[in-house]
Amino acid sequence: MKVFRAHILVCGGTGCRATGSEGVLQSIVQELAAKGISDEVAVVETGCNGFCAAGPIMVIYPEGTFYQYVKKEDVAEIIEEHIIKGRPVQRLMYKEPVTEKPIPHMLDIPFFGKQMLIALKNRGLIDAEKIDEYIARDGYMAAAKALTEMTPDDVIDEMKKSGLRGRGGGGFPTGMKWSFARKAQGDVKYILCNADEGDPGAFMDRSVLEADPHAVLEGMIIGGYTIGANKGYIYCRAEYPLAIKRLNLAIEQAKEYGLLGENILGSGYSLDIEVYQGAGAFVCGEETALMNSIEGKRGMPRPRPPFPANKGLWQKPSVLNNVETYANVAQIILKGGDWYASIGTERSKGTKVFALTGAVNNVGLVEVPMGTPIGDIIFDIGGGIPGGKKYKAAQLGGPSGGCIPASGLNTLTDYEEIIKLGAIMGSGGLIVMDEDTCMVDTARFFMEFCQEESCGKCTPCREGTKRMLEILERICHGEGKDGDIELLQELAATIKDSALCGLGQTAPNPVLSTIRYFRDEYEAHIYDKRCPAAVCSALFKSPCQHACPIEMDVPAYIALIRAGRLDDAYKVMKRTNPFSGSCGRVCPQFCANKCRRGQLDDPMAINWLKRYIADNALKAKVEAVPVTRKEKVAIIGAGPGGLTAAQDLAKRGYKVTVFEELPYAGGMMRYAIPEYRLPRDVIAEEVADIAALGVEIKTNTRVGKDISFDKIRADYDVTIIACGAHKSWTLDIEGEDLKGVWGAVEFLRAVNLGTDVHVGSKVAIVGGGNSAIDAARTAVRLGAKDVTVLYRRERKDMPAWEPEIVAAEHEGVKIEYLVTPTRLVGKDGKLTGVVCQRMRLGEFDRSGRRKAVPIEGSEYTLSIDTIVPAISQSADTTFIPAESDVKKDKWGGIEIVAKTKTKTTAEGVYIIGDAATGPATVVEAIAMGHKVAGDVDGNIRKKNGEPAYVAPAQEKIKIPFEVDEEVIESPKAEMPELAVATRIASFTEVELGYTKEIAYKEACRCLRCDGEIE
Amino acid sequence: MSITIDGKELEFTPGQTVYEVAKANGIYIPVLCHHEQLKPVGACRVCVVEVEKARSLVASCAMPAENGMIVYTNTERVLQARKLAVELLMTQGHHNCITCENSGDCVLQDLAYSLGIEAPRFSEPKEIKALEQANEMIVRDMNKCVLCGLCVRACNEIQVNQVLDYTGRGPTAAVGPAFGNLYENSDCVFCGECVRICPVGALFEKQGRFQGRADDLDKVRTTCAYCGVGCQMDVNVKNGKIVKITTPREDAPAPNFGSLCIKGRFGYDFEGHADRLTTPLIRKDGELKEASWDEAILYVAEKLNAIKKNSGPDAVAGFSSARCTNEENYLFQKFLRAVIGTNNVDHCARL
Repeated sequence: MKVFRAHILVCGGTGCRATGSEGVLQSIVQELAAKGISDEVAVVETGCNGFCAAGPIMVIYPEGTFYQYVKKEDVAEIIEEHIIKGRPVQRLMYKEPVTEKPIPHMLDIPFFGKQMLIALKNRGLIDAEKIDEYIARDGYMAAAKALTEMTPDDVIDEMKKSGLRGRGGGGFPTGMKWSFARKAQGDVKYILCNADEGDPGAFMDRSVLEADPHAVLEGMIIGGYTIGANKGYIYCRAEYPLAIKRLNLAIEQAKEYGLLGENILGSGYSLDIEVYQGAGAFVCGEETALMNSIEGKRGMPRPRPPFPANKGLWQKPSVLNNVETYANVAQIILKGGDWYASIGTERSKGTKVFALTGAVNNVGLVEVPMGTPIGDIIFDIGGGIPGGKKYKAAQLGGPSGGCIPASGLNTLTDYEEIIKLGAIMGSGGLIVMDEDTCMVDTARFFMEFCQEESCGKCTPCREGTKRMLEILERICHGEGKDGDIELLQELAATIKDSALCGLGQTAPNPVLSTIRYFRDEYEAHIYDKRCPAAVCSALFKSPCQHACPIEMDVPAYIALIRAGRLDDAYKVMKRTNPFSGSCGRVCPQFCANKCRRGQLDDPMAINWLKRYIADNALKAKVEAVPVTRKEKVAIIGAGPGGLTAAQDLAKRGYKVTVFEELPYAGGMMRYAIPEYRLPRDVIAEEVADIAALGVEIKTNTRVGKDISFDKIRADYDVTIIACGAHKSWTLDIEGEDLKGVWGAVEFLRAVNLGTDVHVGSKVAIVGGGNSAIDAARTAVRLGAKDVTVLYRRERKDMPAWEPEIVAAEHEGVKIEYLVTPTRLVGKDGKLTGVVCQRMRLGEFDRSGRRKAVPIEGSEYTLSIDTIVPAISQSADTTFIPAESDVKKDKWGGIEIVAKTKTKTTAEGVYIIGDAATGPATVVEAIAMGHKVAGDVDGNIRKKNGEPAYVAPAQEKIKIPFEVDEEVIESPKAEMPELAVATRIASFTEVELGYTKEIAYKEACRCLRCDGEIE
Repeated sequence: MSITIDGKELEFTPGQTVYEVAKANGIYIPVLCHHEQLKPVGACRVCVVEVEKARSLVASCAMPAENGMIVYTNTERVLQARKLAVELLMTQGHHNCITCENSGDCVLQDLAYSLGIEAPRFSEPKEIKALEQANEMIVRDMNKCVLCGLCVRACNEIQVNQVLDYTGRGPTAAVGPAFGNLYENSDCVFCGECVRICPVGALFEKQGRFQGRADDLDKVRTTCAYCGVGCQMDVNVKNGKIVKITTPREDAPAPNFGSLCIKGRFGYDFEGHADRLTTPLIRKDGELKEASWDEAILYVAEKLNAIKKNSGPDAVAGFSSARCTNEENYLFQKFLRAVIGTNNVDHCARL
């Protein structure tokens, strides 16, 4: 045998071939020849390696160096550097996502390291087209053992012991299935392999067949011997040409070697296997339809009983198993059923192969021991969700399965556990979906698939799926109506109960499971005509506008920037947003998160463009609106929510008075957001416009002290509580009474009030939200030399806005991850340090983030002068008397009447903003301000029997529609900002704003999703 | 071997289905796609029943009875599934009972009525398919097809003509000849078995259209006169006029068990035809003249006697028709052999 000093393995699976592995292979052969080392280095084209996302993939042995995204052009460098000079090419290695450190060896990459290979044991290691390579890895040893040393009953015993269950999805114990067919009377029996893999997003069987066809043949030989079959068929879909080619080649080679055909290995047992190509009907994966299809009939299921074990193919006893099931058999026979049964959970043994796909970083084929949590597959092996998006759900079991929401990430891969969640193990398609997936649309997609693939035989499946699809389509088009969810559920239940075969009986599963976990999304579509993921485009003009809580007409004002009409742009913004200058600085941009430009390069810089307009437009003077209504409205708190409500109600003719405890209006926006992010004159200007309408804003007036809550209620017809959330949560640990411990909002408020705050030189901030970062950057500006943010999870879990985190780091703020304070220590009543404990990531919580679990004995002390817990805040509602009819809920907040979102339990008293929702955003407060104004006015008019309010006609502003013919990739325009050294010395605004040129350039990036084809 | 249906313990013979056991014991289970002469397929799901320990409902027409099986035919769960199946079928196409040929003789109509489906909750499809009625015998109204597959199975299993099958999948599934051909362009021999077995108004006789429906017609059971098989058929008569020929959908008698050929089922317009001979004719002076039966028989007897006398019995030969019964053919040969005295006798079907 020829010996080589190195082996270059190139993946030749369908995925890698699609990205160009054949060209890479050719180049290697040429390059080796050119260097004259062809006889030193062997080149092998393997089957699917599994890490399809990173293809074309190359592994070089003996070191086991893993290269990804290899192009033809890289080959010369690899040969020259790695093969000739022995210097691995770092730039082609896999990089650890956070640290970007290259990982040279395949098994050190988490994607591979956490897998356990049984069915895929030869993947990426052997040339699937050479039987010798299979034999070299113990191939056909199991068949030899079974045929020469074991009786069929021995094999059945071993299979039963192993606990192997059908990997096609049904999970029927394989040993039992074989024993039924063995017992069945009949001179002719058949052993069949189901390779009609049809689930959208599933490619397990294809990869096995492409990478290791002999493993399937060997499993079939053992199975055929066991039941007494001399003829076998592999029913493989014609869409898998490479798998079919390799299977036929494998059959031919096995026959040549006497491993298939007459008198296998001289044992007297004969088996002939034939590949039968399916014509692409999903239903032909159903066993009876598959048999009909092999018989040359139309692929339609037949009623069972009789079961295939007794009357299968051509009415003869037959066994049908899935590709992956067969791929496990040889290992079980070789290593024993007990070995196999030692892996996995109590009722699900061995390993399971998953085709991991969708919104996940490492798309590919993975094999894990049964009992591995689903979340581990997605986040550890799969590397989590790309683009920092949030996990929403994973579809398991394809169109027959269900979705697994964030709360189910701890579920173990176990047939029964998965069924409890409303999904099924299925054949192993695992489609990950992120926050940009609409679950109603997902259900619609799978239902469309099922109804198209229904064979048409039985009524519930043929007609029922059609009706379910109709309803789902209506809902996605904004034509859903009350009762649709219930009708869907009724149809689903009956179809499941009465359809003829598995296709129909499971077709409603995706709908049931999405209703179970995402009913709110269905309701948003039906009642609010909103698609929270901004997918169902019939419901909106543009995704950005739809995602905005106040539906700002983003494409319109961006188009007006491009047209140079800033004044009109400002008018468009002002229609929905009285605080666009402030929002342009601090909004977290729900809009940009759904911006379709983001799918190309970067999302639009919507906030910065908004700020550009607000800063540069010429603004018309606001005229007072005459009071035309007798009802008076009091608003407690002059934040963005309260002032928006004041504006809307004033415009409707109400007399509005706003009571504000602090010296200036602006609320949380003014007192919790630092000045370097949001200059005070911007707020003041926007507040002035509202006051100009005739709204009276009484500052320095604390309700409960300067005027009683009950007096306000007596003097005004309506009271709106919009007091914000000005009270920080405490850490609830020892030592919080020490001097030097500040709550984040109290800290920021003190600074924003102009109080002389001394933080000392070492400051710790606790938390990972925007308040934490605000507090940290403020501490830097107050002269702290050493500011550390202590966060209990990982960077990717931080709720703070990423650019803010980066800016803080630039300013010298250190962030310690996976750490939590357990105790504060001090001397003479003054804080001197914080005892911290290291955390590790444990199970997933309901939000889909891993829980931080303390590591015992990992405590350490950080010496500090000041600590600012910024973990959350709540409303200070002490101004409401305890005996008030404004009731509190069990968490101490104000009770909100269900479904109203703004009404308290007391007549005429409403609540909005952070006080109602807990800490949220400016734009959400504005949205609630609009809502409460509508509610207040609507309820008053309803009570008086008056007609509903009709807004005065708006000035017509023509929105130009100008788009570039060709979209050229260009990243988001950078925001000019102050140099770090300058900015940390004061509270001057850090971001300088776009210039006209930058703004124009950025505006031209807009894809104008609002455009309609005429 | 016994099985319990709705609390009654019933004996059965192995091989019987749950539906058959129930029917034999007077327990009503509605069926649509099932037919006693065809293999069960369990397609329409109207006959679903609840079987204890079964995961889902089962089609009683296709479920073999098993010893100890406990079955319920009328539970809330069963009724809901049954109702939904019928409701879905009612709105699958356009079932306009007002002008439907099969109104009053329609399984779907009976089911909808007996299950008390006031108005289906789903809308009918927008598309209305054109009638296929170019041939003179069978009209296909695919707006009314419920895809029970009975026509397909009747064509393949009873007549073994193998003209009909399913085409398309899911929402485009349909029945018909290969490649979407019309009947007349296929191998169809127009036996009409599909028309007989269609449980709704999707297939009907063209000549009988708008001539009368189940309630207006008198069915006269008769034996087909076209050949000697003796097929039993029902002549549907309205106001003394034959409207169409039918055979019973179920419990059809021997020898044909409901089947007919193209002539038997569709060839009845001769009955009132102007050219039809109603009396014997004797040619006199080169012209055919009406005669009485006595005259005609006497005339023939005289002629035969004369031939026999003048030229011998072998100058006479007899040729009999396949339209005659066995008994008539027996008498005919007896007549030639014993009365005329010749063996010159033959029959058109001998070849």
